[in-house]
Amino acid sequence: MRNAARDPAGLGRGPLTRRLPVLLLDPAEPPAARPFPSGPGITSGRFLLRVIFSVRRVSVPAMLLSIVWQVGESAVPVVMGLAIDRALATGDAGQLVLWIGVLVALYTALTSAARISLRLTAYAVQVVQHRLRATLSTGVLHPVGGAARAPDGRVVSVMTNDVARLSNAVILTIIPVSRITAIVFIAASLLATHWLLGLVVLLGAPAAVWTMGLLSERLSRDTREYQELLAATVGQATDLVAGYRVIKGMRAEAEAGDRYRRASQETLASARRNAGLLGRFLVGSGVVSGTFVAGVLGLAGWFAVDGRLSIGGLITAVGLTQALLPQIQAIASTSIPNLAGARAASARVLDLLRDSATPTAGPDDATPREVAALPELDVVVPTVSGPGARIRVGPGEFVGVRADDPTAARVVEALLDPHAGGGVETRLDGIAARELSPADYRSRVTVAPHRTTLFSGTLRDNLAVTAAATERIDAAVRAAACDDFATDLDAPVGEGGNRLSGGQRQRVALARALASDAPVLVLHDPTTAVDSVTEHTIAGRLRGVRAGRSTLLIASAPALLAACDRVVELPDSMGAR
Amino acid sequence: MSGLPVANGRETVGEVWRLSRGYRLRLAATGVLGILSTGVDLVVPWAIGFLVDRVQAGTADLATVLTVTVVMALAAVLGSAGTALTIVLATRVYHAVLAALRERLVGHAMTLPQHLVERAGTGDLISRSSDDVTAVADAAPAVIPVLTVTAFTIVVSLGGLAALEWPYAAAFAVVLPVYVLAVRWYLRTGPGVYRAERTAMSARAQQILESQRGHATVLGFGLAERRHRAVMTDSWRVARQSLRARTVLSMLNGRLNLGECLSLAAVLVVGFVLVDHGASTVGGATTAMLLVLRLLGPVNQLLLVVDTLQSALASLSRMIGVVITIPFDAPGAQTASTAVRLDGISFRYGEGPRVLDDVTLDIPSGQHVAVVGVSGAGKTTLAGVVAGTHLPEAGTVTRPGRTAMITQEVHVFAGSLRDNLTLAAPAATDHDLLAALEAAGAASILDRLDTQVGAGGQPLTDAQAQQLALARLLLTDADLVILDEATAEAGSAYAGQLDRAADAVLAGRTAVVVAHRLSQAAACDRILVMEHGRIIEAGTHEELVDAGGVYAGLWTAWEAAQP
Repeated sequence: MRNAARDPAGLGRGPLTRRLPVLLLDPAEPPAARPFPSGPGITSGRFLLRVIFSVRRVSVPAMLLSIVWQVGESAVPVVMGLAIDRALATGDAGQLVLWIGVLVALYTALTSAARISLRLTAYAVQVVQHRLRATLSTGVLHPVGGAARAPDGRVVSVMTNDVARLSNAVILTIIPVSRITAIVFIAASLLATHWLLGLVVLLGAPAAVWTMGLLSERLSRDTREYQELLAATVGQATDLVAGYRVIKGMRAEAEAGDRYRRASQETLASARRNAGLLGRFLVGSGVVSGTFVAGVLGLAGWFAVDGRLSIGGLITAVGLTQALLPQIQAIASTSIPNLAGARAASARVLDLLRDSATPTAGPDDATPREVAALPELDVVVPTVSGPGARIRVGPGEFVGVRADDPTAARVVEALLDPHAGGGVETRLDGIAARELSPADYRSRVTVAPHRTTLFSGTLRDNLAVTAAATERIDAAVRAAACDDFATDLDAPVGEGGNRLSGGQRQRVALARALASDAPVLVLHDPTTAVDSVTEHTIAGRLRGVRAGRSTLLIASAPALLAACDRVVELPDSMGAR
Repeated sequence: MSGLPVANGRETVGEVWRLSRGYRLRLAATGVLGILSTGVDLVVPWAIGFLVDRVQAGTADLATVLTVTVVMALAAVLGSAGTALTIVLATRVYHAVLAALRERLVGHAMTLPQHLVERAGTGDLISRSSDDVTAVADAAPAVIPVLTVTAFTIVVSLGGLAALEWPYAAAFAVVLPVYVLAVRWYLRTGPGVYRAERTAMSARAQQILESQRGHATVLGFGLAERRHRAVMTDSWRVARQSLRARTVLSMLNGRLNLGECLSLAAVLVVGFVLVDHGASTVGGATTAMLLVLRLLGPVNQLLLVVDTLQSALASLSRMIGVVITIPFDAPGAQTASTAVRLDGISFRYGEGPRVLDDVTLDIPSGQHVAVVGVSGAGKTTLAGVVAGTHLPEAGTVTRPGRTAMITQEVHVFAGSLRDNLTLAAPAATDHDLLAALEAAGAASILDRLDTQVGAGGQPLTDAQAQQLALARLLLTDADLVILDEATAEAGSAYAGQLDRAADAVLAGRTAVVVAHRLSQAAACDRILVMEHGRIIEAGTHEELVDAGGVYAGLWTAWEAAQP
């Protein structure tokens, strides 16, 4: 920020106001985010209610201030009507000054209330979003203990889009409440001018809101459909451009363009239909609100002709009716779609939480099991016929395993999650890993899967995931032959490590595994994207960096297996379950 | 790193004008309809003022009231129908033009010179074809009513005020500076705050995505707690940015309220003076008040979308920047023959050191050449120059017209397996596809032509993705095939199988193979050994082994490691 020193909040304020504190600008610390309960017996409707009423300490003051704001907005035409009646019609200059003063006071009150209410509302929404994300993060994305089954791709869209939609429902306890209050205020004021006018508004306004709400719900459903299509088309463009090198390599430019055109045209058709529905909504709401207002005004005019209403009363009625319209339209076009969207999102969030609910892993009895800091690892792989095979890694041993891909995958899955099915039995010091608490198991056994994932951040961020000491990291970087490119450990690796080549990513992942001080480390095909010369170098350094700890290396590369203390050969096709 | 160009104002307007061909008449009609409908809307305040005056004069009767009511209702119906039609028509044209633009963008992106895209990074192209397209599409509901109805409403209402009594309009003009200042402040402050919010949001989505994709790593290293904290930190960072953005919005709201308050006070003062001098009636003042109230909504609406409008325009000029970039073919001459010739080729990335240094190479028709050397020797760059991906700094390239290449990057497109294969050969039958898969050794995915793969579909293993790429290459009719480490990703268990599949792909074609597995190199007709951007050894496998040079050393080490 260019003017950071002169404009500390970065809000572009003038010299007079820039030093004033700003309410809730950006609180540095989130409030404690306890997970929302999602157990059986909670329907998606109840979940929604729990969510929107979870921040009452913020949302109730926001609602009260919002009432001041909305009622104030509705009072503006009334004040204007009174001013015309008292000052303009009489030519009394004192009255003019008085009523301008009232107008300014009214605006001061409503704008202050609006300002605080808007910020409290935003804060309430953000707090709920954060708490929902915490719920999904611990419940789905990072469950305690963890299971070998990965959360599906839904989790990303639910944790971003659906959480935002669901949290927006908090606004339902604030803005619509104040709008309804404003409508009641308008009706009460009309009631004071003439009872029949007030009654018509009290009965007519809900009917108008309901009719327009029907129209807007259909529209917003279609809008979501259209937006999904647009997102799919945009996704296709991303996919095609991401595969740009492949398309160029195949000379498939024309075909790729044709495919995109088809998707784009489908989206265009949907956009056209959506525009049509928008038109229907606009006509419908215009007709409903326009005729309603004309009717109320006609009634007021009739009473004025009759003499049952003064000319001042007529102008006030005109002003009040004018204020009625935006309130009705806003409820119909934002609050009703907000509710519909939140209900759908609530169901999706709850579904995801339910699907991922895993029975608490760990032993049923609380008796602590004694496992040595550096235990003996035993893996038994059964076969359909025959006794199966056994891999034993004694403390400090470096054992290689040669297996075909399905078998290797099955062994790794069992080591990742001892509770996974598949029949592979894992034992530490003779105790079934299933009986250990997840924390005990993971403190002994670290598994580096074959499919490498680097996390956004620097090389060091990635290497230090297990809080290893600097010298350990340096040794690991050398052992994994990363020294040629990893000269600056503070260089960012890009999203998912995309600034590195495939081979470099794999070597960083290997270095990360070696940097962890795990008593037992399981490596699975760690050098498949590395050239044979470098692979040879790595093979020569692995044992040194793992000295004094146990290592299980599942690999097919001869150079790596040649470096092991001994190699266990698993017969083919043990992957069958 | 120089990015792709961004269109300037004139280029943007010119391209939009070109794209709007076929819609111009409709657009003009839409404009006229918009003005007419907002004009009809003015009837309501005018009718109310008329009624107030008649009631005050005591000349109103039931018939007057009925007439006024019917006129108001009719005006409301006609006005909203006209407004709705205007918006529908304008929205449809907007989307049609956007669709034409995005199709040109993606089609054009594919024909851009690859070295240009490589230099800018595919990320830039991805963000222009996704984020920018979304930004322009999402701006439609905010921007279109503003450009059609709202702007007219403001103009027509001001005109109505002036027609009523010009001082009313003048009173409103006095308040204008308040609005001008508000907009200037908002445009200075808003965009940066919103950009920061969006950046924080994409960082958060990325964290969530990495935890999901890296599930096995998270589990294997026991990182759940750490990843949870990372996600929550980014979650709250978004919350903070969002609160800032809402704060700016609430401050804008305050400034708009100030403008409203001053406008209404000005109308009261002007009305007071006019009525006092007999230049206006109380009904006229009521109409003026209603007109100003009616004006305030649209003015607020206009100011609130100024930044959306601005960022949509920025996105538009980024999209058009791609479309107006002149595409050109891969550098180098094409021959009718299927031989390749490189003459005195030098290459460097940007201002970096020379990666290729005066390389001359002749590959006769049908010969298979392997390129061997340690990382950084220039193998991949050489393959890129042969394929036309890289524009050499000096020297000439001659290559056959039909060239296909597999790079280290294996991308599986979202869609069915069949879609992935027919990309290379749109006319291929299922029978052809199965034959290609079989030859590529992809027996494990043979029965899954309809399976959805790629992003959002079933994941393929690295080996299967390689087989898919080879099958795709088989389906093309290329005369020259370039394989850059195509089999490097697979475990050794599959390497033999992939080597056989690669043989099937290369059969009968001229080929350049960048090989890390020396078994693959040994199978080629000729082997080039590269070091520091130069070819230091060349010959058949036997010749090089006998020569006892660099290749012989590599071969001995490699053979020793084999079981």
